[in-house]
Amino acid sequence: MAVAQEQADIRLSERIRAAVQTRTMLWSTLAAIFVVWIAVSLAADVSAGRIISLIAWGVMLGGVIGLGGIGLTLTYGVLKFPNFSHGALVSLGAYLTFAVVDLVPNTARIGPFSFGWEFVLGIVIGAPIVGVVCLAIDRVMYRPLRSNNASLVLFAMASLAMAFFVRSIVYMIWSGDFRFYYPGRSSPALDLPLGIRVQADQLFILLLAGVLVAAVYLLLEYTKMGKAMRATANNPELARVRGINTERVIAYTWMMAGALATAGGAMYGLSSQLRPAMGFWLLLPMFAAVIMGSIGNPRGALVGALIIGVATQLSTSLISPAYGPAVAFVLLIITIVIRPQGLLGAPGE
Amino acid sequence: MPLLKVDGVTCGYGDAEILSNVSMEIGESEIVSIIGPNGAGKSTLMKAVFGLLRPWHGTIGFREREISGLEPYEIVQTGMCYVPQVDNVFTWLTVEENLEIGAYTLTSGGLQERKDTVFELFPRLHERRRQRAGKMSGGERQMVAMGSALMLDPALLLLDEPSAGLAPKMVEHIFDRIVTVNRTGVAIMMVEQNARQSLQMAHRGYVLANGENRVEGTGESLLNDPDVARLYLGG
Repeated sequence: MAVAQEQADIRLSERIRAAVQTRTMLWSTLAAIFVVWIAVSLAADVSAGRIISLIAWGVMLGGVIGLGGIGLTLTYGVLKFPNFSHGALVSLGAYLTFAVVDLVPNTARIGPFSFGWEFVLGIVIGAPIVGVVCLAIDRVMYRPLRSNNASLVLFAMASLAMAFFVRSIVYMIWSGDFRFYYPGRSSPALDLPLGIRVQADQLFILLLAGVLVAAVYLLLEYTKMGKAMRATANNPELARVRGINTERVIAYTWMMAGALATAGGAMYGLSSQLRPAMGFWLLLPMFAAVIMGSIGNPRGALVGALIIGVATQLSTSLISPAYGPAVAFVLLIITIVIRPQGLLGAPGE
Repeated sequence: MPLLKVDGVTCGYGDAEILSNVSMEIGESEIVSIIGPNGAGKSTLMKAVFGLLRPWHGTIGFREREISGLEPYEIVQTGMCYVPQVDNVFTWLTVEENLEIGAYTLTSGGLQERKDTVFELFPRLHERRRQRAGKMSGGERQMVAMGSALMLDPALLLLDEPSAGLAPKMVEHIFDRIVTVNRTGVAIMMVEQNARQSLQMAHRGYVLANGENRVEGTGESLLNDPDVARLYLGG
């Protein structure tokens, strides 16, 4: 009798969980949090214009998080481990761009932006270098682990070690001082309709993030290598059986992740300042975005990044900006409690 | 000279030896069925042939070339394709994308012709070519898996339990397709639980037990062998 009652309880709790742990539930919870937050802010005499500006800035921050997050979700999809050194790659990319801006003669500003062509050149030069660094790390560290079928924990620990290693190299070369791409130069603020005030640079960040994300999407969806990457992420064993050289797919994945991390790092550095631990602080928002958008799903990473970015900026309407990382953490916990699979589901759903 | 020649292969996982000194051959355009009890090493033999497991001893020759040290992606290019028993389709990809991945190593063009050939063999796949393979029934998935393996027009097709988990009607359909493929000149090596049915369509068969070959003969002679019938065909 007691056993039957217990089983009935289990069935009931499973039914409740099935009803609660849905994608709709996660979407509506997040939407509700935003609505309530905005309502409380308005009640606390924060102006509507400021809230709209915060949302606009959040979208830009989402672009930066998204550029890092897509690389993270790609490497997770193909290699099946969380790469804790991704933040260090973001820092490395930002500093390599800085090295180029520092070395070459600077041109005049491009249009309304605070940077000149040497900044763009820095990203173009930095991206493949970080890609090659990723490849080298893979050869030395992850490939031997792969051929020994090492456990997930070893991969995660190895990547954590790499995070400190790469960060230390950044410290050695560029020291721990704060740096700016253009010291003393500020990006002019633009007045957009609805009372939104944003910097031209922020619009550039959003545009670049959008273009790169679209490029990644097209590459994954329509090119032969992109299909091979999706196939390898879906079923690595079968990919080998079907004639795909999975080591080559992994190499391309690292190159892409490194290049996107560089773009993200340069954008992040442009919007604030450069310091060796900058990528490390971006790691939590990136992971939160990737998990929220369903890990392994590049479009999901961007959606998650935009939500995290907007939430982080919007939170400053009522609380100190110092709590920014905590906002990402709270959203991550909400996601894991309600629907660990995330908002979008696996890439094939 | 046989198409595939497995000579004295011993291999296994970790320290566990699964196959000991197994030898077999497959001729051009031949259907060869491997039967035997569960755990006899039938699937292991197939994985060793396809380069997913390194043999500890022995050689594997295909089209007069030693292939036992090659990676699967290199073996595919020699004209051999493999359909695993489970997880044999890319569930996130559409039917058409699955077929395109099947032709991944095809560099000379002719992708559309290959697709058309497969669609002719499995008209159902043409109807559902934009569907994700993960949303399809077991029988349809088996068609996708076989279709992708046929995209490179292989000389030898390895089928691991093509009828596993399928309804009797679908089993009949798949077996019928296997014979049709074979008539176009593709040699077939298959492992089957459905031993009686597979021996009926096979030109030759091998009985594998405890990782060794026990009996070999034409499909018919194995079917009529009282020992084989008693031990492996369930009476």
